[in-house]
Amino acid sequence: ERKTCEPGVPSSLIKNIFRHYVKMPVAREAFRIVEKCSERYFKQLSSDLEAYTRHAGRKTVEMADLEVLMRRQGLVTDKMPLHVLIEHYLPLEYRKLLIPVAVSGNKVIPCK
Amino acid sequence: MKRTAPRSTLRKIIKKHKPELRLAANADLLVHLNFLLFLHRLAEEARTNAFEKKSKIIKPEHTIAAAKIILKKSRG
Repeated sequence: ERKTCEPGVPSSLIKNIFRHYVKMPVAREAFRIVEKCSERYFKQLSSDLEAYTRHAGRKTVEMADLEVLMRRQGLVTDKMPLHVLIEHYLPLEYRKLLIPVAVSGNKVIPCK
Repeated sequence: MKRTAPRSTLRKIIKKHKPELRLAANADLLVHLNFLLFLHRLAEEARTNAFEKKSKIIKPEHTIAAAKIILKKSRG
């Protein structure tokens, strides 16, 4: 029986994303491991974000904190800027929210 | 694949772990991005493990081995 009070990413979503990336048949038990692993990931992520935010003397996690985190994780590098990852992984509607104007254009119009 | 992010769920998860912590507007989308990248890395690692063991499917042991490495890499 599932507890409804425990928030978590729906297992079907985790399953679909993982299946999409792995491109191979996955044993049912293996999906359960992925799910468990995701829970562990979110726990780790929350404490990391808290540490970063507190270090900066804030109570709110800013976008910059996540960029620093992804740099530390080796996901964002000089050759792989954050906006490229955003363009690659997130659908257009979210991309628009995160990159209001193309960062790599000649004209950069600051807008909100 | 469903592309929308479970935005409120992501906020709830972080709230569960760190009730004091607040997320700036759209920061949850970057959390979602980070989660996608995490699953991507995990998938790649698990696939490599399966290939090494000459297995045609991803078995739990492949994911467990991958999880150990990728969770370590995900530390901030």
